[in-house]
Amino acid sequence: MASHGYEEVDHTADIAIRVWGENFQALLRQAADGLYDLMGIKPIRNSPAEVRFDLPQGTKEDILVDFLNELLYLSDEKRQILNDFLFSENNDEFEIQAAGCQILSQERQIKAVTFHNLSVEETNHGFKAIITFDV
Amino acid sequence: MSQITQKTFTKISDYEWEISTDFRSDMRVPVRVFASQALLQEALKDKSIEQAVNASTLPGLVEAMMVMPDMHEGYGFPIGGVGATDPENGVISPGGIGYDINCGVRLLASRITLEEVEGWLPDLATSINHHCPSGVGVSSNLKLSKDELADACIKGSRWAKARGSATEADIKRTEDQGCLAGADPGKVSQRALERGRSQLGTLGGGNHFIEVDLITEVFDEHAASVMGLYRGELAVQIHTGSRGFGHQICTDYVRRLQGTINKFGIKLPDKQLVCAPIASEEGQDYLAAMRCGANYAFLNRQLLAEKVREAFERVLAGKVDHWKLKQVYDIAHNIGKFEEHNVQGDRKTVCVHRKGATRAFGPGSKDLPEEYMEIGQPVLVPGSMGTGSWVLTGTATSMLRSFGSSCHGAGRVMSRSQAKRNVWGEDLLKQLAQDGIEIRAGSLPGLAEEAPQAYKDVNEVVESVVGAGIGKRVALLRPLIVIKG
Repeated sequence: MASHGYEEVDHTADIAIRVWGENFQALLRQAADGLYDLMGIKPIRNSPAEVRFDLPQGTKEDILVDFLNELLYLSDEKRQILNDFLFSENNDEFEIQAAGCQILSQERQIKAVTFHNLSVEETNHGFKAIITFDV
Repeated sequence: MSQITQKTFTKISDYEWEISTDFRSDMRVPVRVFASQALLQEALKDKSIEQAVNASTLPGLVEAMMVMPDMHEGYGFPIGGVGATDPENGVISPGGIGYDINCGVRLLASRITLEEVEGWLPDLATSINHHCPSGVGVSSNLKLSKDELADACIKGSRWAKARGSATEADIKRTEDQGCLAGADPGKVSQRALERGRSQLGTLGGGNHFIEVDLITEVFDEHAASVMGLYRGELAVQIHTGSRGFGHQICTDYVRRLQGTINKFGIKLPDKQLVCAPIASEEGQDYLAAMRCGANYAFLNRQLLAEKVREAFERVLAGKVDHWKLKQVYDIAHNIGKFEEHNVQGDRKTVCVHRKGATRAFGPGSKDLPEEYMEIGQPVLVPGSMGTGSWVLTGTATSMLRSFGSSCHGAGRVMSRSQAKRNVWGEDLLKQLAQDGIEIRAGSLPGLAEEAPQAYKDVNEVVESVVGAGIGKRVALLRPLIVIKG
């Protein structure tokens, strides 16, 4: 198995993905890729976007859900898809800088990221989690 | 947890089953399932019953955690879940209402026969598709200021009436007259308001749709005629909710309550069941915000109904005698409301959470418009795409056994990825066209996800509802036009 990645997990009505990474930041990057993949996004070439946002410090589950919900908001309202994430943190905040581009088209709407049975687990190889999305 | 099997249930009747609180030590009330044995067996294949057992641990629940026959696995609550909590010592759970606050269905009736419009159906489909913005990322034609949006989510459907986009009959024939009291936009985040401004009057994507249907069978002539439904005539269904506005409200409060759950000393088996005491500041804030989402959804369906009416007029005026559409009813199936019900033999106000379940008030309920007092509330049960939909009425039994609730649709049995593996969108489109259905769909993979094979047979679901006595058959509809985002 690769040191990081994501794969879809069966769910009757909604959609879930299993995500893993060699550290928590890699897990966040994979979760973002997995989310965009589920949304079926096609980007507009040569439409650069740069974004910086802060999330409140919390448990790893809180940060993961907040991070993905921020991406959902940016895709829904600003029509932006992001990559090249840079993460930094202090006692109060988790800071994210990212580059990306505008969305050309999107196949599927994801309504929200849920906390359903969410647990970010540390493994011998890094971190893993199963994330359920409301569609 | 012990595995849930058929043996876990006590049979109450052929269509009603219970799991007692002995099953798991943290259950506060029994789980009551309305389903035939076959549908119950089907439900055991996913986690819907396990999720109902989890939901039964919420503080302040009364009577039982109920599950409707169209149940399927959700997140936190199962889809098809109904739970009522005591306002004094109970909780409100945003996950028990869902992200799409007041997702619901509106039914409009016409006096148009199929023979009159058969040649015009393609034009009608194109016109509805043109008039009603749909699909992912599609914005509204309305450009509201934040103040206008705040006003709209206090007034709900009445906001449309003030702008000439609703009649008094529309308002009267909407659950709660299209407006929940106690909505406070001050409890809604700026981000939610931002998303709400650009999406009011849009259908969205996923399983949301507009259908033009043919009434193929009438089972209760009297109730159908009171609703204005006649065999051989057309009707319209609109299925959508509160769009990004509601999604953001729920997201905000699920997150906020994660941070406050410990101070209330509440232990839950799933974080998505997060909740707050109804009487707490957090609980009251969520209720005030959720009601904004609910009113937005009532208004959203009202504005779309007006657009559908415009489309009918554009295509059919001068070609048929009566092209106008009259509202039958508009119901919510993701909502939380205070209602009076029988609890342990006493009348009591409780906070009813409906997550993928429809209110189904029986005859005589004071909350119904005068003309429906005798027949009971219309219950709208859309089937899967390309199959039939049902109109039912609520019953005296639904008031006694299910907190005046019934099913909300067919209910999924197949995951979206499995549906896409099994069905090609293009093939499905051809099949539906061969069946005489005009489809306008934004996304072929999205169409495949909603293939009829991915859902239960809605007729079996309705058989369970009728068998359990919590709904009564009125009419069956068959789709002629389907618009999907």
